[in-house]
Parts: sequence; C-alpha cells; structure tokens
Amino acid sequence: MNTAIVETINVTREVAWLPWAVSYFFLIGLSYGAFLLSLPGIVLRRPGWEGISRLALLGALVCGLSAPVALLADLHQPGRFWHFYAYFSPGSWMSWGAFFIPLYLGGLLLYAWLAFRPLLAAHGREGGRLAGVARLLAYGGLESRSALLGAALAALLGALLVALYTGAEVMVVRARPLWHTPLLPVQFALTALAGAVGLTLLFNRFSAGTRDTATIRRLAGVLAATQLAALLTGALWLVMGLSGLAPVHAEALAQVADLPGWRLTAAWAVGATVLTWALAALRPGSGLLIGLLALHSAWMMRWTVFIGGQEVPKTGAGLYSYQLPLGPEGLLGIVGTAGLWVFILVLLTTVLPLDRLAGTRGHGA
Amino acid sequence: MKSDPSTRACSPTGVSRRNFLRGIPVLTAAAALPAPAVAASADTPHWGMLVDIRRCIGCQACTMACIQENAMPEGSFRTVVSTYSVALADSAQPAGTYVLPRLCNHCDKPPCVPVCPVGATFKRGDGVVLVDAERCVGCGYCVQACPYDARFINHDTNKADKCTFCAHRLEAGLLPACVETCVGGARVFGDLNDPQGELRRRLDAAGVETKVLKPEQRTAPQVFYIGLEERFAGKVVGQGSLWKPRASHA
Repeated sequence: MNTAIVETINVTREVAWLPWAVSYFFLIGLSYGAFLLSLPGIVLRRPGWEGISRLALLGALVCGLSAPVALLADLHQPGRFWHFYAYFSPGSWMSWGAFFIPLYLGGLLLYAWLAFRPLLAAHGREGGRLAGVARLLAYGGLESRSALLGAALAALLGALLVALYTGAEVMVVRARPLWHTPLLPVQFALTALAGAVGLTLLFNRFSAGTRDTATIRRLAGVLAATQLAALLTGALWLVMGLSGLAPVHAEALAQVADLPGWRLTAAWAVGATVLTWALAALRPGSGLLIGLLALHSAWMMRWTVFIGGQEVPKTGAGLYSYQLPLGPEGLLGIVGTAGLWVFILVLLTTVLPLDRLAGTRGHGA
Repeated sequence: MKSDPSTRACSPTGVSRRNFLRGIPVLTAAAALPAPAVAASADTPHWGMLVDIRRCIGCQACTMACIQENAMPEGSFRTVVSTYSVALADSAQPAGTYVLPRLCNHCDKPPCVPVCPVGATFKRGDGVVLVDAERCVGCGYCVQACPYDARFINHDTNKADKCTFCAHRLEAGLLPACVETCVGGARVFGDLNDPQGELRRRLDAAGVETKVLKPEQRTAPQVFYIGLEERFAGKVVGQGSLWKPRASHA
C-alpha cells in the first residue's frame, strides 16, 4: 500500500446496483443457459438427451420467471418500470434489455408449454396432484412440431439477445475498468452455461433419475468443457493484463492486483473452476458436488463483478467497504428471491414432477 | 467577486448581473493563451467552473452550503473537498495537506447520458447536466457510468442525484451555493462563452496550467482546475479514507 498519500476526508459512494442485481444476472444467466441445454433433447431429438433437456427446460422456466422480479426490485423506482417502454433510448443497452427480456420470456413460455403439453396431459390422465389444472394447461395435450420449432427459434433469438445485452450492458461502463473488458460478456456466458448444467444436475439428483449414470456423465462432459473454456478465458484475461497487449485489461488488473482480498478471490475462483473441471472430467459420477460447485462459481463470479467492482472507488483512495445489509436491500432480498424461486419450482413440479421430466415415469415430450 | 452566472440566464428582475460584476475590479491579468475548452455557440451561455486549488483552504464550507441549499439526506454529498495527507520528502515537516474540491464535471461528452435507459439524464443547452426526476427510474446505470463518482442514489427520493450547478439558483440570477460560500475564492463560476467574464479570462490566463480530472476518459469536463497535481487527477493511489461518512438509511 502506498502510504505516501493518506486520504483523510472523502465520501463513500454506496453500491447503486444492489444484491438484487446479482440475483437477476445469476438467474437470467441460468435461465438462458438452461434453455440452451434444453435444445438437444427437445428440438434436435438427440438420443440420451431427452431427460436432461426436460429438466433443463424446467430450470430455464423457474429461473426465467423469478429473474425479472429481482431486476424490478433493483430499480429504486420499481413502479416506474413502464418508463422503459414509454421512453425508449436506443443508445442504452439497458433500454434494449427491457425489450429483449419479454421476447425471451415470451418465447420460452410458449416453447415450454408446447414441449410439456403431452406431459401435462399424461399427468392429468393419471390423476396426480392438481390433475385438473394439468389437464387444463395441456389443452388437449397435442404435440405440434412446427409450432414447437417456431417457439424455440423465438426463444433462442431472445436468449442470445439477453446474453448479449447482459454482457454488453456491464462491459460498456468505461468508468469501471474491471467491467470494461471485452472478455466480460464471454465470462458471463460461460459461467451461466456452467451454472445451468449445475442446476440440471441438481434437479437430476432429486429426481428418480439419480442412478442414471449416462445422464450424469453426459452433463459432466458439458460441464468439464465449460470449465476448461472458463479457465482459458481467465488465462487470456490475465495474459493480456500482464503483457500490456490490451490496455483495458492492464488497467483492470492494475486496479486490484495489489489488493489481498482480490487476490484471495481470484485464487478461490481459479481453484473452484479447476476442482469442478477435474471432478467433472475424472470423476463424472459426482453429479451433485460438481453441480453445486458450478452454481457456486456462477454466483460468486457475479457477486465479485457487481458488488466487488462497486467497492473500488473511481477517484478516491483505497476501497469502499461493503457490508451486506440484513434488510430488503441485502440478505432479505437474496433470501426473498430464493423463496420465490422455490415457490415457482414447487408450483411447476406439482404438475410436472421431476421424475416425469427425467424420463423415468410416463413418456417423453 | 469571482463569478458571473446569470448573464444570459432567465433573471426574473431583468437586471444583468454581468453589468454589476463588470463594475468590480478583478485582479487577474489576462494573458492571451489558448482556451482550454470552449462552448459551441457564443449566443448562449455555457456554464462552467474553475477550481483554483491554490486558494482552497479545505474548510468544507462549500460542502455544507450544498447540503443546506439542496437538502441532501444524511451521508449524501453533491460536492466535497477530498482531503489528503501527503508525505513530504524535502521539507522539515513530515507531511502536508492536499485538498481537492470534487463535484459533477458537467462534461460536454457526459458518459452518464447515453446509458440512461429512459432518457432521464440529459445535457441542457447551457451545458448543465441534469436529471429529470419525473422520469428517472433509479436504475443506477448513470451512477456506474460516471467516471468521477459524482452521482449517487438519493435515499429520500430514490432517484439519481448529482450537482446541478444549482440550476434553480442560476435561473434566479444567483451563483451556485458552493461558489457563493467559498471562503478562499477558489471556485469561479461563469459563462465559458463570455470573453469578458472572469471565468474565461482566468482560464485564458492560466493556459496550460488549467487541467481537468481524468482527461484520458475524454469526457470533456467543464469543471477546470488550477493547481491539480497529476497523482490526484485520476484514482488516487494511497491509503483509504480515515473518515468516510456513510448514508444511514435502513
């Protein structure tokens, strides 16, 4: 630390993007990642992917439906959300995002409904919990391949645009060197996909498909690939920062390289990624553990970027200290979002039980 | 007297403050040096500020005046005088004090404006960057985009907040509160388009000594400094604050 200058008076700027934002970026990332995982089994009909894709689609739905609530809560004027549509500002990625989110969610809901109609009808026929509701939702239970493909295409476009805007929105902030690197959107996307694999592994663990080692191995293979890609991207980030090839990376690195807390965080992130990769590649049967590790990394990456990034003053010396408040702007917000997530999961799995989705009961989509 | 804000502002009385100010002798000798930043049109005012750090005594009278004038919530500041203790190598004293008044730079290329998703933040024709409180959704994107940490979310209004150059006072033909109260005469406010105004003349006289914060950001700040040391122009490398007031919202 340079003690030649000691800041004796300055102000603390509080974080403007609260843990609500972390929750949003985490959930929307998991959602579009899980949606992409749903494509091989449901759209491409790749053998062995049916159960994985249905579980992933459930994850995409649960995360996709809860994410916008967290986003809305991060606005300090949530009642004015309609201003996004009344005052479109094409120069702002956030403004575009307000249109990409409904495109993605609309496509996702339609795609999921078309994919799950036969399962809902089966649930209604077999007289499970809320069978009447399932019958109603199935609306005949017919399968329409062309409609499914059309909805999948709309959702895919929406998912890609959401992935683009969530990365670009943060990347363009030149005032925060840690955010202003072209690799940030790539890192967001990779950790989102890895987290989605983790979530699918988690769902698989709690379904009757637990002992289906082929499913776990298949997912572990995808997870290992994402972890390797994340490590390579991280290495590229570091090399560009250390070598000075890219001034923006050098500036980002210079901001935190000397800070012990950031060094520990970096070591933790690399360690967790290496461990997840090693377990996924060498012991692919450890489904629950690698799933949780991947989810942890996806959350940690976003927490570090958003909360950690806002702890770095733009002009002042040292760091702003952040302590997680216990109220809605902190812990309660995170717990509340998690509660909403669980509620939606319970609601959906009542008419679409995990066992049925995993393909161990009833028939596939 | 050090400023002339209302020359072309809408003064309800119709009295030109510039005429009043012109009658007062100024001490600064005007040297014909290149202008550091000039507004587009000479027909309209383009408000700017010069902070002469050599004159600042770090009394925080500007900080307090701003808080009172703009009813800032506890722990929120539109301006502050950042104060540093600096080790001295070539002096009998072990350390000296460096002060740096900070506020919104009312940039000519404000990065806070394009990111706003609802067009609530904008740059007015007279150069003042403002927030339309009726439109702001409190998303905080502008807070992130500002390279000077000049913006924050006001916990009383739940909207983006920042220095307005006391726009309401300008309209009434008054100086910004921080300028009015500055004990050492360190803050000079005025119309950058007015070649006879004190601000313009002081800037021209200072020439290359005039600097801005974070020039590499290419935001074209309209708050200029005399006496700004290089190591304080960007993010200061040193030990963190000993005293940082924090908003106490629950």
